[in-house]
Amino acid sequence: MNRVVVTGIGVVSPVGNGRSGFWRGLVGGRSGIGPLTLFDASTFPVRIGGEVKGLGLDGLAARFPKARGERDRKVWLGLAAAEESLTDAGLAAGDLCAAALHVGVGLEVFFLEDVARLAGAADPARAAGVLVDGAADAQPLQTPLDRLGQLLGDHYGIFGGRYVNCSACAAGAMVIGEAAERLRSGEADVALAGAADSMLNPLGVGGFGLLRVLSAENDRPQEACRPFDATRQGTVLGEGAAFVVLETLQRALRRGARIYAEVLGYGCSMDAFRVSDPEPSGRGAVLSMTKALADAGLRPGDIDCASAHGTGTPKNDAVETAAIKEVLGGRARQIPVHAVKSMTGHMIAASGAVEAVAAVLTLAESTVPPTINLRTPDPECDLDYVADGPRPMTGRTVLSNSFGFGGQNATLIFGRHHT
Amino acid sequence: MGGVAITGVGVVTPLGDTPDEVLRRIKAGETAARRPTGFDPAPFSCPSCAEIPDFRPERHVPEPKAVRLMSRDTLLAVAAAGLAIRDAGVTVGETYPGEGVALYGATGMAGLPLAEVAPLVTHAASDGRFDPQRFGAVTLKRVRPVLSFKILSNMPICFVSIFAGLQGPNAVYNPWEGQGAHAIIAGARAVARGRAACALVGGCDVKTHELAFVALEQHGVFRPWREQGAGAVPGEGAAFLVLEDEQRARARGAPLYARLADWRTATAPSGHSPAATYENVMAPLASPAPGVLISAADGESARAEAEAQALAACGVRPATRIAPKRHVGDLFAAAAALQVTLAAAIARSSPAGARVLANALGFGSEQAAFLLEAV
Repeated sequence: MNRVVVTGIGVVSPVGNGRSGFWRGLVGGRSGIGPLTLFDASTFPVRIGGEVKGLGLDGLAARFPKARGERDRKVWLGLAAAEESLTDAGLAAGDLCAAALHVGVGLEVFFLEDVARLAGAADPARAAGVLVDGAADAQPLQTPLDRLGQLLGDHYGIFGGRYVNCSACAAGAMVIGEAAERLRSGEADVALAGAADSMLNPLGVGGFGLLRVLSAENDRPQEACRPFDATRQGTVLGEGAAFVVLETLQRALRRGARIYAEVLGYGCSMDAFRVSDPEPSGRGAVLSMTKALADAGLRPGDIDCASAHGTGTPKNDAVETAAIKEVLGGRARQIPVHAVKSMTGHMIAASGAVEAVAAVLTLAESTVPPTINLRTPDPECDLDYVADGPRPMTGRTVLSNSFGFGGQNATLIFGRHHT
Repeated sequence: MGGVAITGVGVVTPLGDTPDEVLRRIKAGETAARRPTGFDPAPFSCPSCAEIPDFRPERHVPEPKAVRLMSRDTLLAVAAAGLAIRDAGVTVGETYPGEGVALYGATGMAGLPLAEVAPLVTHAASDGRFDPQRFGAVTLKRVRPVLSFKILSNMPICFVSIFAGLQGPNAVYNPWEGQGAHAIIAGARAVARGRAACALVGGCDVKTHELAFVALEQHGVFRPWREQGAGAVPGEGAAFLVLEDEQRARARGAPLYARLADWRTATAPSGHSPAATYENVMAPLASPAPGVLISAADGESARAEAEAQALAACGVRPATRIAPKRHVGDLFAAAAALQVTLAAAIARSSPAGARVLANALGFGSEQAAFLLEAV
């Protein structure tokens, strides 16, 4: 089996864009949550979110001309992050012909502007005809989920397989885990893997609001997402994207690539419980972490830090805490457990990839980012959540959890690289 | 890697709910293509679709109350998955623990018809223009939260896991046939590498409503209809297969349909001849030559010609050639699983060693072929 390492990172997030900007935001404890500006949310019960600022759409459109006119925001977020990761790795189009491309995305955005034309029409068939004749400025009603992969694959000439994973909030971790498995088994020796998502549109914010999983603390947005805090009221939607370049260790060493960290293990599971709630005993989360440990050939005592799924919803945080304690035993109380979402909000399909990047940088920068907004201890959440600011990371491994709506779970374990 | 056997199949299609029935009706020359029953196809280049008549979800969904949470593609997935598991004689929790069963599935785009999406804008549009202020003030107070469960792309597979009790390795892929092929391969690898004792793999899709037609038209799937007056007929359905380690399956006395002997995938470069891509996936599977081909040919002449060219280049001249899409319709995310399911049914009634090639060549970049061996 090949060893697999991370040699390139790209990220756009509510706390900062680019590897450096993102990391500065995280270790600085900066909240990326604020009033929504991407659409008029003034009449919505939830009017806050974690928006990506300064994306530089004009520049992206110039560099990815085939994406011009694309309305689905996650496509742009993904292009920006993927582009940075390849540049960071020192790879260009000609290096990627046999690479695998693993892309995680959320749901297809309905463009309600177009649905309104259809639904409001006296003659829906005629209205449909208007749409398909290109009168809607030739913009598709929906962006297929393979759009980002198609744009990246065609732009960079990636033909070693394109995999589009839509496993909700677990997708971002799954694509990295699946790509790593592909490299380990020798099916490829380089892969671009990552995820992008934005639910900061009327359908996303409205829909998640209806499910009562969002905090509606609109008057204090930066404090609204409080993972593991006793007063937590729900998560906050964010948007973002992260991509990593994965290579076999042999390939990375051969070309003298900078190695950030090693992918040690991957596990995934399903709750098989309900589509809306985590299984109360944490069975699925336990299974996911246990499989990742086994895959990495590690024992619980070998884990030095955990990046929690940590959404800030009352149910998730208590169940995840219990699951971490069950899997890691006494080690759970000895290690830092932090929640990136306290600063970024929940980036849905992208969150697992963004948090994987945070885990990799925790090792590479030897610093554990804090969990912000944690001021009131919850007896059910009784681990060391790094509430007092960033701290030095001296350990060698980080475990990163992602648990998806619908009951899909994924866990990645990264290790400090040593030859 | 160990040998992977197909031990159960389940299909829900416009031409029947068992592979044998589908094959019988295909051989009889039946086609499910009809004028859509739910909308006027006049604005679209394609005039017909392949619908499932009289699908009754209550026959398949263990919890009737859950039906209201489920979109049609989810209902079809739950039905076909349940049929496959029963067909394999697998009792989750007894035959295998839930965490030992993997689940890899594919879902399609544009799953909801206009009738289900329209309530989102009914009170939020004025003069046909969407007004987010009215959406927030009015619609969000009237629309039912369950719509969220119908929209999310992973929900069909999540409902399958819940009803079947599957907790093993998993992923959901989207949106076209090639991603459905990736789901099958992911399950086969999980079994072959010992990460799961058993895998349920497949896909579901519904392309028989007006929003699906809008999407297919806008994304160029109907271009052959526009340019040549013929093309693929969109359909609806679901297909799932149960994969097991062959030795374990034999040891428990499971019914063996076939051995999933090999597979190949290729990513089609833009502007590249499809025949060359098809040849790349078929050539490694062509010797010894398979006697039966489950062809990817639909109503689009270019795809059929490209497949024929690739077969000729590989020296494959199957004695039996079946083109399900011309009869059942194109099931897109479910198409690869249906192709392999039908191949499995044919292999089961073939002498040991007989080889069946199932092509999953369709819209999107990802192309695949599967080789099955009768056991």
